[in-house]
Amino acid sequence: MTGLLARAEPVARLLVALGFAAVLVISVDPVSAGTALVLGALLLPLAGARVRRVLVQAVPVLVAAPLAAVTIALYGAPSGRTLLAAGLVHVTEGSLVLALATLLRVLAIGLCGIGLLGGVDATRLADGMAQLLHLPVRFVLGALAAFRLFGLLGDDWRALALARRARGVADRGRVQRFAGQAFGLLVLSVRRATVLATAMEARGFGGPGPRTWARRARFGRPDLVLALGAAAVLAVAVAAAVLAGTWNPVAGLRG
Amino acid sequence: MTTAAPARTRTPRSLRWRVVDIVVASVLAVACSFVFIAWNVGYQGPSALLTPLLPGVQGLANGLWFLAGPLVALVVRKPGAALYGELLAAIVSALVGNQWGATVIVSGIVQGLGAELVFALFAYRVWTWWSALLAGALAGVGASVYDLGLVPGLAGYYAGSGTQFGAVYLVSQAVSGAVLAGLAAWVVVRALAATGVLARFPAGRARRAG
Repeated sequence: MTGLLARAEPVARLLVALGFAAVLVISVDPVSAGTALVLGALLLPLAGARVRRVLVQAVPVLVAAPLAAVTIALYGAPSGRTLLAAGLVHVTEGSLVLALATLLRVLAIGLCGIGLLGGVDATRLADGMAQLLHLPVRFVLGALAAFRLFGLLGDDWRALALARRARGVADRGRVQRFAGQAFGLLVLSVRRATVLATAMEARGFGGPGPRTWARRARFGRPDLVLALGAAAVLAVAVAAAVLAGTWNPVAGLRG
Repeated sequence: MTTAAPARTRTPRSLRWRVVDIVVASVLAVACSFVFIAWNVGYQGPSALLTPLLPGVQGLANGLWFLAGPLVALVVRKPGAALYGELLAAIVSALVGNQWGATVIVSGIVQGLGAELVFALFAYRVWTWWSALLAGALAGVGASVYDLGLVPGLAGYYAGSGTQFGAVYLVSQAVSGAVLAGLAAWVVVRALAATGVLARFPAGRARRAG
């Protein structure tokens, strides 16, 4: 059985991820972020997110979250009892609460975002963006074509490394070698894109006349379930924060 | 029948995107997104070193994330190029996954709009190093406005921080954007043009003629 996420339209997953993050950033408070994090961690595996892949992709998030929290703890808007003051550093009760909220918020947004978007198929996403969101077709498909060119990147990199080694231009310092080779790869990519554009035009891309689609994208029941599930999680998170008295829209923090 | 000297004919300036504009802009944007994805992890080092100096100075590390807008705009020179480049790079960054989730798409839009504004003010006619510098700086301003939670209805990464932090952060991001996004994009485009790979773009032809 394939999971809910796999059956949902990638566009729906992207929109849900965006809405999820947009609601969570309204309030900087530990309760709403913590609730969303716990519920998301429980529900996303049920929807078919692979825990191992999420954790691997989430390593940067796991590093970033505590660092962001420390920044806010030291320099966040001061309120309540001052615990430590040295120069511009004000650690107060208020800034510690903000720091905890920031930690949970970054984790909730990052982990749920990766859970929702992990393993999205770019081609299906582009189909959805053009057919369901009605974004400009030439740009969506042009972007998809460019994106898929980068599947060749690993081979290109190895070939470039061998060629440069053979020519003896790759024997300088490691940083220099990397920079030079990266630029070579960029030139190669632009050249290939130019050729690709010609080939696409030759096949009538961007020309007049109606476009047909090989794969039809349409919203269905999985998308509805996904959207309702995310809305329910957010509603519970916000309700919990309001009941706990910690709901704290950002505007209220700067006074 | 007479033939005009082909080297001197100039194709009239068109603001409509050709297919080659779209595909090359997309390739450059995706290439930038790889830089972004690396920097999503790599910025932690400089950021952590800068933060103790003065709160908000960690914005100096952020300029690399504004690169796509000026870079794509300098190459294709069409309306919307900066916004498109930064947005596409942000979408790829969101799909790969990062600590800001899908909100990086909003970041991409505000950063792209900042850079776009500069090129639009010059009626899409000025593509010099200083217009690139300005575009990078404005991308930093756009990013700060969002990060600090000044966009109504949208809370940013540093929403809730004090005024002093905000002021330092905004200036830092603008300076960083000017150098790491604006000037860097100009240098990269000049190097690309020198290879001849931009022959189908005004950026490449201007270089050849000069």
